[in-house]
Amino acid sequence: MGIIHGEEMVLNIGPQHPSTHGVLRLKVRTDGEVVSDIYPVIGYLHRSFEKHCENVTYEQVIPYTDRCDYIASMNNNLGYAVTVEELMGIEVPEKVEYIRVIVSEFNRIASHLLALGTYGLDVGAFTPFLYMFRDRERILDMFEMVCGARLLYNYIWVGGVSHDLPKGFVETAYQFLDYFEPQVKEYNNLLTYNKIFVERTADVGVLPPDVAINYGVTGPNLRASGVKWDIRKDEPYSIYDKFDFDIPVGRGELGTIGDCWDRYWVRMREIEESVKILRQALKGLPKEGDVHQAIPKKIRPPKGSIYKRTESPRGDLAFYITSDGKPKPYRLKMRSPAFTSLSVLNKISRGWMLSDVIAILGSLDIVLGEIDR
Amino acid sequence: MTDDRDKLIAEAVEKALKGDMDAINGIEDRVTRSKAKAALHKAKKAAKAAELTSADASESDAVENQTETISTNQKIASIIDGEFPGSVVAQEGESEECIYIQSKFWEKVASFLRNNAVLDFDSLQCVTGMDMGEGILEVRYNFHSMKLRHSIEIRISTPIENPHIYSIEQIWRIGDWFEREVYDMFGILFTGHRNLKRMLLPDDWEGFPLRKDYETPQSYHGIAVPKVKEEWE
Amino acid sequence: MSVDLLYDWLNESIPFLSGNSLLLLLAIVIPAILLFLVIAVNAIVLVYAERKVSAFMQDRVGPMGQGVGLHAGKWGMLQTVADALKLISKEDIIPRLADRKLFIMAPFVIFVGAFIAVIALPFGETLIVADMNIGIFYILAVSSFGVIGLILAGWSSNNKWSLYGGMRSAAQIISYEIPAGLSLVTVIMLTGTLSMQGIIQYQSGGLFDWIVFSSPFSFIAFIIYFIAAIAETNRTPFDIPEAESELVGGFHTEYSGMRWSFFFLSEYANMLVVNGVAVAAFLGGWQSPIPGYLNSPGWGVFWFISKILVLVFVMMWVRWTFPRLRVDQLMDICWKYLLPIALFNIFGVGIWTLIFG
Repeated sequence: MGIIHGEEMVLNIGPQHPSTHGVLRLKVRTDGEVVSDIYPVIGYLHRSFEKHCENVTYEQVIPYTDRCDYIASMNNNLGYAVTVEELMGIEVPEKVEYIRVIVSEFNRIASHLLALGTYGLDVGAFTPFLYMFRDRERILDMFEMVCGARLLYNYIWVGGVSHDLPKGFVETAYQFLDYFEPQVKEYNNLLTYNKIFVERTADVGVLPPDVAINYGVTGPNLRASGVKWDIRKDEPYSIYDKFDFDIPVGRGELGTIGDCWDRYWVRMREIEESVKILRQALKGLPKEGDVHQAIPKKIRPPKGSIYKRTESPRGDLAFYITSDGKPKPYRLKMRSPAFTSLSVLNKISRGWMLSDVIAILGSLDIVLGEIDR
Repeated sequence: MTDDRDKLIAEAVEKALKGDMDAINGIEDRVTRSKAKAALHKAKKAAKAAELTSADASESDAVENQTETISTNQKIASIIDGEFPGSVVAQEGESEECIYIQSKFWEKVASFLRNNAVLDFDSLQCVTGMDMGEGILEVRYNFHSMKLRHSIEIRISTPIENPHIYSIEQIWRIGDWFEREVYDMFGILFTGHRNLKRMLLPDDWEGFPLRKDYETPQSYHGIAVPKVKEEWE
Repeated sequence: MSVDLLYDWLNESIPFLSGNSLLLLLAIVIPAILLFLVIAVNAIVLVYAERKVSAFMQDRVGPMGQGVGLHAGKWGMLQTVADALKLISKEDIIPRLADRKLFIMAPFVIFVGAFIAVIALPFGETLIVADMNIGIFYILAVSSFGVIGLILAGWSSNNKWSLYGGMRSAAQIISYEIPAGLSLVTVIMLTGTLSMQGIIQYQSGGLFDWIVFSSPFSFIAFIIYFIAAIAETNRTPFDIPEAESELVGGFHTEYSGMRWSFFFLSEYANMLVVNGVAVAAFLGGWQSPIPGYLNSPGWGVFWFISKILVLVFVMMWVRWTFPRLRVDQLMDICWKYLLPIALFNIFGVGIWTLIFG
């Protein structure tokens, strides 16, 4: 590598490319197969989320948050709802909290399944992708039961949720969990410990913890680098402090701590932890209770600002809301985890091959809807 | 009338704290009910804080900092002010949640925040631009320390005619993209930023959309922007 | 049914043209058309099989002919025919900045490479277009001919992705020719002939007389040849020249319609050829596994085709199971593992024949 130096070539990966996970453009300088510099060009999906929010009422913002991270809409709804509730000082009924945890953990599983499946696709394994989509489908079916939508839910509202859980949901959820838990083993057999997959991902794109923190990388990507930081545990919101679960961190089992394989593996482990949380939440779910009782008729938060973090499947999802006492937000800023994750791409993939850049990009699990907002 | 209501609320909150939520839910007047709920939340919060501080004062700073942001902010503010006299601007109202820094001190304060062992803010969480009206732009930085587990918010204001703020892109690398976004939306120029270009908007975009005085252009590259809202909403 | 036999037969049956060069032309054209049909049918069947096999492996049903109006037959059996019709009727796009002549030429070069290799495939005891005395050598030689087409396609498209694909496939196919060739050398050492029919005749006498089971070294040779064959046909885990998630489509990114389908046709023809060679050289060719049983010429064709299909199925199985390798890892496997093992293997076979042979 690098003994013969030819002329460098600029290669545009995207905006239309099978593995950019959306409309992303990477300006890549390559010397043969070896990549020397990457410049991500973003903004192709920009739809002025923050400007829109200044012109709609607080309730109307929720559908927009759906469309930011469209893979994990429930978690985005939850992040926004929790922020506004704290700004207004609303106490939410226990049942609502349980429902919120249940749906957002289901959505975390669905999001991770998509991330892992498409990651398999990025390194050329087609079949695991469809296996994971098969199971994600069942989660989406359950969401359809809950709120009628399969991708953009608009389910978690400020002070409550839009509908109570339907009849038979809990049974369906238990059935799914019983079916799903052994599936993780199948994924491991098929992809996680596959020799070629390990060769492609272990030791590739190592992200050291200090670099990760300096670049603001959060969520599974940060945990894969060995930093134990999970908002659900460290700064509990909703009722996450009631549940018993572990935070998986990268251990460098088959390579270096913080490599692509660790990022993949942390997500796989998080699926198992989510299943754990779900079992506890389904058990503790109160039977009685009105999910609408705490929904305020008019949302007019007092003057002031708030910065509140929640843990979305991609990392620290934070909303900065400034209110001037009117029904519309004065300023709403969304700190998207995928935005910071993408910023580290150039740092960790310089010097790797073109195929590795695709593997590293896939392991960061970005959603362009959230990056461009 | 208001006295009556206050009394009613106080009673209901007292009952609710003992576990009887119906006392609040039973209030018929909607305004009174919501007020009672807010009061209950406040009371619970205060009780929790008191409990925690009294229970174990000896527990590590991290826990204390999480529950008592007020003291953290004041402590950090005094540390910064002690290091750079005159850098912290006293503000009315919101000052308990955040620290206002004079923009001319920002260059030094930023690296102090990063390198000081007591503060050790290794993570820049978020950079938010804001148009405060009256010709003032503000940039709000949310910092967090992964080691010491405390966070602060720093605010710096700059005049809209000549918005200049020192760039912290080389101290926290994520600042690169965050500052570019703020520049994109508010036109704040970050001095010392190595690649201050448009981020989300096209390079040839005119104006800074999130400023309050921004006017939607008539057309973009010959594509007319529809005037009547019904057409696109 | 080689060309010589056909010519003789034509000479006898059409006496008034006897000795005419027209008959020679006829004797060449008839097998050519038949071979083209074989390749086309092969592609249609294998594409359908690929779809169904992948579907069953992925918990799907694949193409099914259920629907209103035009539908693709029972169980979607006409799906590939429908695909072919679609491809034929598609617009033929040649990029403005492409090198026009080379761009048009490339798919045909690749196709010719696959086509002329099929000539030497022994479908039955007498059913071979040209039973050359250097048959296996000939196939090895012409099957690398397709690389020129790949490079032409990659270069002439004037697209960086295509260029990457072309370069990668050139490096890959040329590298994997070597272990493939060396593992066939062991067969040649055992049989002492280069003729395809000669090699098959050597293996007459049932399952345990097949070369693959005749010694441990020849078994290793078979495995090496099969891995190299997967690489030569550009299939996962060695599909880096096409690598959809990296190179969009690799060398055929810019191709569409009929030109693109020629790449497809030759890919499946290549599969036929490499597996045909594997069957002839290691698995007894058209011979029945049980000696003297079902060994008539008609059954010969059956055995040959079904052995090929088994190997093709294994290739599909591998394709839908494994992720893709990286370029340098691909080269590592070839030069650091397969090549030394293959060389050692030749030595081993030599010793083996000396002692037991």
